[in-house]
Amino acid sequence: MIRVENLKKSFGDHEVLKDITVSIAEKEVVVVIGPSGSGKSTFLRCLNRLEEITSGHVYINGMDIADPKVNINKIREDVGMVFQLFNLFPHKSVLENIMLAPMKVKKVSKEVAEEKALRLLEKVGLKDKANVYPESLSGGQKQRVAIARALAMEPKVMLFDEPTSALDPEMVGEVLEVMKELAQEGMTMVVVTHEMGFAREVGDRVLFMDGGYIVEENKPELLFGNPQHERTKAFLSKVL
Amino acid sequence: MKKRLALIVSLFLTFMLALAGCGTSQSEGTSGGGKEMKTLKVATDAAYAPFESLENGKIVGFDVDLVNAAAKEAGYKANVVNVGWDPLFVEIKEKKSDLAVSAITITDDRKQTYDFSVPYYLSTNEILVPENSTISSGADLKGKTVAVQNATTGQEVAESILGKNSPHIKKFKNNNLAIMELLNGGADAVIADNGVVDTYVKNNPDKKLKIIKDDSFPMEFYGLMFPKGSDLKADFDKAIQKLIDNGKYTEIYKKWFGTEPDLEKLKQGK
Amino acid sequence: MDFRFDLIANYAPFFLKGTLLTIGFSVASIILGTILGLLIGLGEMMRNKKLAAPFRVYVTLFRGTPLLVQIMIIHFGFVPLFIGETNVYISGIAALSLNSAAYVAEIFRAGIQSLDRGQMEAARSLGMTHVQAMQHVIIPQAFKRMIPALGNEFIVLIKDSSLVSVIAAPELMYWGNAMQGQYYRPWEPYLTTAFIYLILTMVCDFLLRKLERRLATE
Repeated sequence: MIRVENLKKSFGDHEVLKDITVSIAEKEVVVVIGPSGSGKSTFLRCLNRLEEITSGHVYINGMDIADPKVNINKIREDVGMVFQLFNLFPHKSVLENIMLAPMKVKKVSKEVAEEKALRLLEKVGLKDKANVYPESLSGGQKQRVAIARALAMEPKVMLFDEPTSALDPEMVGEVLEVMKELAQEGMTMVVVTHEMGFAREVGDRVLFMDGGYIVEENKPELLFGNPQHERTKAFLSKVL
Repeated sequence: MKKRLALIVSLFLTFMLALAGCGTSQSEGTSGGGKEMKTLKVATDAAYAPFESLENGKIVGFDVDLVNAAAKEAGYKANVVNVGWDPLFVEIKEKKSDLAVSAITITDDRKQTYDFSVPYYLSTNEILVPENSTISSGADLKGKTVAVQNATTGQEVAESILGKNSPHIKKFKNNNLAIMELLNGGADAVIADNGVVDTYVKNNPDKKLKIIKDDSFPMEFYGLMFPKGSDLKADFDKAIQKLIDNGKYTEIYKKWFGTEPDLEKLKQGK
Repeated sequence: MDFRFDLIANYAPFFLKGTLLTIGFSVASIILGTILGLLIGLGEMMRNKKLAAPFRVYVTLFRGTPLLVQIMIIHFGFVPLFIGETNVYISGIAALSLNSAAYVAEIFRAGIQSLDRGQMEAARSLGMTHVQAMQHVIIPQAFKRMIPALGNEFIVLIKDSSLVSVIAAPELMYWGNAMQGQYYRPWEPYLTTAFIYLILTMVCDFLLRKLERRLATE
């Protein structure tokens, strides 16, 4: 599904990702953890080329998005993304937020898009908010709308960039619940998060990143129960 | 309703006058004629060669030489300031300047609001047209578009032919712009003072323009313009007469126009 | 104080004609200037610096030189070049629109750059092209933010339109000058024109506020 080979990313002189190689299988839920500044968000953003790739390859369904000739817009249709700060469109209602991309990108009719949007809102438990504007929603509600918006494009992979970091603690649960449900339905997911409980419970595999490298990767029970690397141990001792 | 509008407008007016009053403290005492060579502020619009124009930043011209000579004769110093044509009338009306010299024609209309010295220059208007134009007199201008400088006697002559506020009269800020309009095909003719027209044609032979004279155009006399009731008028009347009598006037006239002044006709203007 | 309302009444038909032309100049230039300004603003923001350069030069030139000079150059230089003679209506609208476009371009650029980068990223992550993202996500939001600054620009433009009186375009200021020249009384014409400009700008301000309120409730 996703294959990353020797991925490097620099901002000016500063090398943030130093040779990342990893594969992610279909229906797999991969959780990326690590201290801040470890490059985990940048890694995620390279997977749909929101960050230009400095060198290496990122294959999505066999297409190398590091190749400038590739139609990145087409590939992004298959790669949904959820942001830390939601990034809902404030000038559009909740329903319009979800309908916009299917109508403009996939040229779906308004009726079909609306029906689908309502179904997704029901799924994330916000059907009653269809016609309000994002500013009147709580953080947790905004993030659930953002998930619904990404799902409306029927992606094959979902990327989550610290989806609960900007939320008040009491709202974290409702978002994680939606994500868990999604995982159970068989969505391929890459999740950057600080929620170790979620990683343990939902993740098929956990990547621990530090200093621009993937230091250690394993099944959650093994990585959390028996970390091999000193840096992993040091990090886990602080967050657990 | 009308009363209230009047109130608003007069409040606005007071405000504007108060503002206008703030900017003019450098005009040294305009009244009380001491004999210690008082400097007079003389307003002009230095865009009217050869009467007054800017040369390397200095205001020069026939009017400037004349007003300096007359002021000296009357026991004053003259400080000529370029304020522009329309503001010039405000300057005098509000007594911000002591007098104005700017090839200003003496008219009955203007006399109602301002005082004028004895005439110091005789002028008529002339018509400036392209060399190939069929216009040969003022009457030929009917139905044509005429460019003039706003608020000049050239405009009055044009209005006497084409009608007041006729859409065929284009009024510009100065004669240079009016002539540019003519050169670019936006007007068929320009009506302006002989001094301006002659000088322009002399200095721009490549523009292929010709001058049409029309004897039916009224003679005009230029005067120094004072605020109504100014006591400077008498001093300058005497001074101008003296310059004419002692030949200094003729000297200045020849320097700028290259011809002899018609002193007899000038006297008719009194 | 003697303020001659009778003279203003005599001149009212010309003030009316002038006001209508001033409105015409202003409306036409606001519309053309805004459209042109949006295009120039987009041009300025092109990632290819070489392609963006001409747009930046345009803005620099038109913002950096006096409108009065631009009016003269366009009237006596460019318009005769294209149509063989001068035409105050073409010159006036062209000069005002071209000048205003430079300011609108900068307002537009500032409006877009004030938006959070996440808006563009969210739109692009959904598969939208750059153009689609601009059209559906960025520009509508930027436009809302631009309205106060645009309103300011429109009001400046209405007043700046008085400068075309130098090329004898018979608009409001032209007739104010003409009346001054006819009666040799400065205050009646100039205060009357000032009063009319004030009403025009107040109407413009009122309409913009209404638009702002309507967009705010959307």
